[in-house]
Amino acid sequence: MKVQSIAGLLPWSFFFAVFGLLPLLAALALSFYDMNPLRPDLTHWIGAGNYTRAVQSPAFWHALRTTAIFVVGTLPMTLTLAYLVAALLGRLRRGEALFRAAIFFPATLSMVVIALVFKSLYAEQGLLNGWLEAAGLPPVHWLQDPRLALPSIMLMDVWSSVGYYAILILAARKTLPIEQLEAARLEGMRAREIERRIVLPHVRPVILFVILLNTIRSFQIFIEVFVLTRGGPLESTLTLVYHLYERAFYHFEMGYACALAYILLFIVGLILFAQRRLGARPA
Amino acid sequence: MSRALVLLTAVALLSIAPLLYMARVSLGVGNALPIAPSDWWSGGFTLDHYRALGQGSGMGRFALNSLLVTGVAVPLQILLSAAAGHAFARARFQGNGVTLALATAFLILPRQVTLVPLYLLFARLGLLDTYPGLILPHLADPFGVLFMAHYYQTMSPEPEEAARTDGLSPRAIFWRIVLPLSGPGLAVVGVNGFLTTWNAFLHPLVLTTSESMRTLPVGLALFAQSEHSVDWGALLAGSTVATVPVLLAFLIFQRQIVEGLLQGSGR
Repeated sequence: MKVQSIAGLLPWSFFFAVFGLLPLLAALALSFYDMNPLRPDLTHWIGAGNYTRAVQSPAFWHALRTTAIFVVGTLPMTLTLAYLVAALLGRLRRGEALFRAAIFFPATLSMVVIALVFKSLYAEQGLLNGWLEAAGLPPVHWLQDPRLALPSIMLMDVWSSVGYYAILILAARKTLPIEQLEAARLEGMRAREIERRIVLPHVRPVILFVILLNTIRSFQIFIEVFVLTRGGPLESTLTLVYHLYERAFYHFEMGYACALAYILLFIVGLILFAQRRLGARPA
Repeated sequence: MSRALVLLTAVALLSIAPLLYMARVSLGVGNALPIAPSDWWSGGFTLDHYRALGQGSGMGRFALNSLLVTGVAVPLQILLSAAAGHAFARARFQGNGVTLALATAFLILPRQVTLVPLYLLFARLGLLDTYPGLILPHLADPFGVLFMAHYYQTMSPEPEEAARTDGLSPRAIFWRIVLPLSGPGLAVVGVNGFLTTWNAFLHPLVLTTSESMRTLPVGLALFAQSEHSVDWGALLAGSTVATVPVLLAFLIFQRQIVEGLLQGSGR
């Protein structure tokens, strides 16, 4: 039994080691090299060179700034909406399953499909401009205006993630201490008071978890930018992962791209560390 | 109460409206956007865009590629997860804790970190632009293993012990006792594996070079950029094709998707 049990571990461990851990460690090693796959003979060790190049590169800081704007702009709206939707769903006596399904479904969709649909909505001749025209207003250049492209992507992000986070918060609400709620009601505590004094502390770890997840996911935005704007216009939507992708696969700066990847890993690690200390956890 | 209902109805409609729009344009005549409100019902319906997909655009090939990759990767994921998860839950061995910790860390860290090394590794192994190259990265996903380890920890070992006293070999115990009792857990692993594999984008984008090897998401995204004027009808028909299997999985397995999500699948 004992031997056979460990044998069961072997197939997955092989794949995990070769296609998971090995690339993870190889990326760290590569980040210290100057490496272009088109000229493998020129590969050479440059120590921390890729990292110093990153912190001196305007594009890198620009990408970080874009991410910061993204987090600050989406998180409050996404969280508020998700919290409200979860509260409303929890209050329904019937039909919860139907509403929950409709609101949650977008979270399971391919981000490519979501981005393509929004690309059609944001198009110059798209639905949104069609409505504006019908209302006698001038068209808006949703994705072509450098001031609007990022907010347009942020709006799409809110749309696509509210349902996901609402389900997480709803799951936490399902484990509310019912007796405590009943007692509070009997004492004549008002609904708003109950929400603030009992519900909010109870779901606090999940809210922290949502903040954590949303922040980490914002640092990894790629598909949205790839499909909608390719980092433009005027680099107004350049994100860290899109920058990494361009460096690696348009300019073949593989070592530099790996350094960017490890900076991303470091940032995500920092966020995780901070939030763990605050007590974030799913449901 | 009724105010909650009104608000929720509004949110629910907003959630699905873009998808209804996608389906409507895909069934519309011509490529023009937008479909004016008056055209929503009366603007004419046609399957032309879907027929065109099957013919020249390569979209049929992309869909077949996606089906093949998902069809091979997900059953393998299920088996690997069951075997490894069972080992984690039942056997005591050196390095058990370390491996679990590594797998958990890998689940959380940004997967983009492995992108460049995987590309270089696959280039060296001749796996770029091949089906194994599209399938193998999915087999390293630790979610299923972690989920099944937890699942078996909470499952009673009694049937297995009874079978062992009856003289069944460990292999027979796994196939005949453990697997048949694992259905609910494997459904969670399977449907979440399906969603992540079917929707995967960055790795398939980088690990394929020729058009004929693209998966559906990659093919759609590049199709949207290839032309000066986008063929919206075809594009949103392709998007609808990519969405239908997800919708079916959602309708059948919504509970399992939520459970996987609560356990940290895929993000």
